[in-house]
Amino acid sequence: MNFKEQRENFRNKKISAKEAVQEALSKVENDKLNIFISNLRDSAEKRAEEIDSNFEKYKDKPLSGVPIAHKDIFCTENIQTTCGSKMLSNFVPPYSSTVTKNCDEAGSVMIAKTNMDEFAMGSSNETSFFGPVGNPWNDSLVPGGSSGGSAACVAANITSISTGTDTGGSIRQPAALCGITGMKPTYGLVSRWGMIAFCSSMDQAGPFARDAFGCAALLDAMASYDAKDSTCSKREVVNFENALAKDFGTLNIGIIKNIEELGINNDVLEAYEHSKSVLQQLGHTIKEIDFSELSSGICSYYVIAPAECSSNLSRFDGVKYGYRSDQNNISELYMKTRSEGFGDEVKKRILIGTHVLSAGFYDAYYLKAQQVRRMMKNKFEDIFKDVDLIFMPTTLDQAFEKNRKDSDPNRMYKEDLLTIPANLAGLPAISFPNGFKNNLPIGGQFVGNYFKEDLLLNTANKIQEVTDWHKMTP
Amino acid sequence: MNKIELKNLLFLARIHAEEKEYPEITKKLTNTFNLIDEMNNLDLKDLEPLNNPLELKNVSRTDKERNRNQKDKFLDQSPESDDDHFMVPKIIE
Repeated sequence: MNFKEQRENFRNKKISAKEAVQEALSKVENDKLNIFISNLRDSAEKRAEEIDSNFEKYKDKPLSGVPIAHKDIFCTENIQTTCGSKMLSNFVPPYSSTVTKNCDEAGSVMIAKTNMDEFAMGSSNETSFFGPVGNPWNDSLVPGGSSGGSAACVAANITSISTGTDTGGSIRQPAALCGITGMKPTYGLVSRWGMIAFCSSMDQAGPFARDAFGCAALLDAMASYDAKDSTCSKREVVNFENALAKDFGTLNIGIIKNIEELGINNDVLEAYEHSKSVLQQLGHTIKEIDFSELSSGICSYYVIAPAECSSNLSRFDGVKYGYRSDQNNISELYMKTRSEGFGDEVKKRILIGTHVLSAGFYDAYYLKAQQVRRMMKNKFEDIFKDVDLIFMPTTLDQAFEKNRKDSDPNRMYKEDLLTIPANLAGLPAISFPNGFKNNLPIGGQFVGNYFKEDLLLNTANKIQEVTDWHKMTP
Repeated sequence: MNKIELKNLLFLARIHAEEKEYPEITKKLTNTFNLIDEMNNLDLKDLEPLNNPLELKNVSRTDKERNRNQKDKFLDQSPESDDDHFMVPKIIE
């Protein structure tokens, strides 16, 4: 059942919040894909009863009576929040994130917290301390990452909506690999308060749903100005669900010249070509744009993200909260706590970040990476003088095998080649299913100008009115 | 990166590793730096570094009385604490 039907059934009293929650919880309890880190049966049933007994208060809220799963990166008061790490496997936050609070107030019921790459560092959900997640289309394949659990949860029809975070593609890439819709909003649209930090200048929370409609409603709930996040935008938030019905007219849609030279798989390219013809059928004009700088984003990202991660993760020292390795002196306590508490990928990124920020290397790496970031932002600004949106594939490949052995040691990092540029520039982007091959989904994405989420959702929704890729289920 | 440089880096990051792990760690770091070093082929002249995608303004909260004393709530999270302090092993010999 998609989000819209589920919410209508609650509003029309065909199904109570408690019944919807119980159905979802029974699927959580039968999950064979390792999608969840915690199951919140007790609190979820209580909350659903409260919503049912205050039906009038909740019936018109954007997420009324709908079960939701949150990525385990969002702090939830008195509920274990692990960030996929041994370091936080015993952490029970004393407060809730703004995102989860907003979703509660919007009438949803949190039923579970989803598995993820450790501290959101990964593109396959294999770096989680709690084990890898299987792709609902084929459990020997990865669901993508880092929000792999949240994407798999919606793809497997356990909940109709879930939350994720996207620092370099961590919503859009798993959405593409699982055959659902996922959106990274403009940096600053959604509060980062209570969202465990990886790379603060790029981290942004966003929605997953089967279609653009579900993403619009969930984004309506998630987005709000929050004084507790100094980077949160004070702009008046538009109603995204209403924007789906708006007429934005015909658009100029940019496609990138020679994009096939970036190593994109032929099946993904075929779906991309087909989507271009759908856009033309809808009356839009396709314009070729030069964006030869696109692939340079990745080298900048792998300096800036580890740099910020090394700083953000310095707080995990075994003293104030989280895992502690008991040692006889404080220096050993720090070092052993961090080497035992973090997994290999996280430690590697901390080391890279520490190196690029250290004296003597700052100019050669960090400063240069920030210049590349400026170059990327300038390029997008130029492009958006000519086009309304950019359209491109979300990923280079479809879902791949767990424990993939690559001849190129940086292959996993290159998975995010097409998603990273939007994060560097802070732009909004939406991935939606746009094809199917080998019994596996394919995703395409729009990147828009700052705060153009309404246009992105509207355009993706128009495509979904004339295609059926988003309706396919495993 | 030689052995001493890696040892210093590990200490700076407060991460412990056995010496037998050094070759593997060095290999992984070198692979990533090979990717990063592609930046050196770009012409970045006159580009102002960008550290945040949005123009940031300083934000101050309203001067309102709030209950900020949540000591017990936070000490409860600690691996070891007494009534008023986080407890750690002896720092001064």
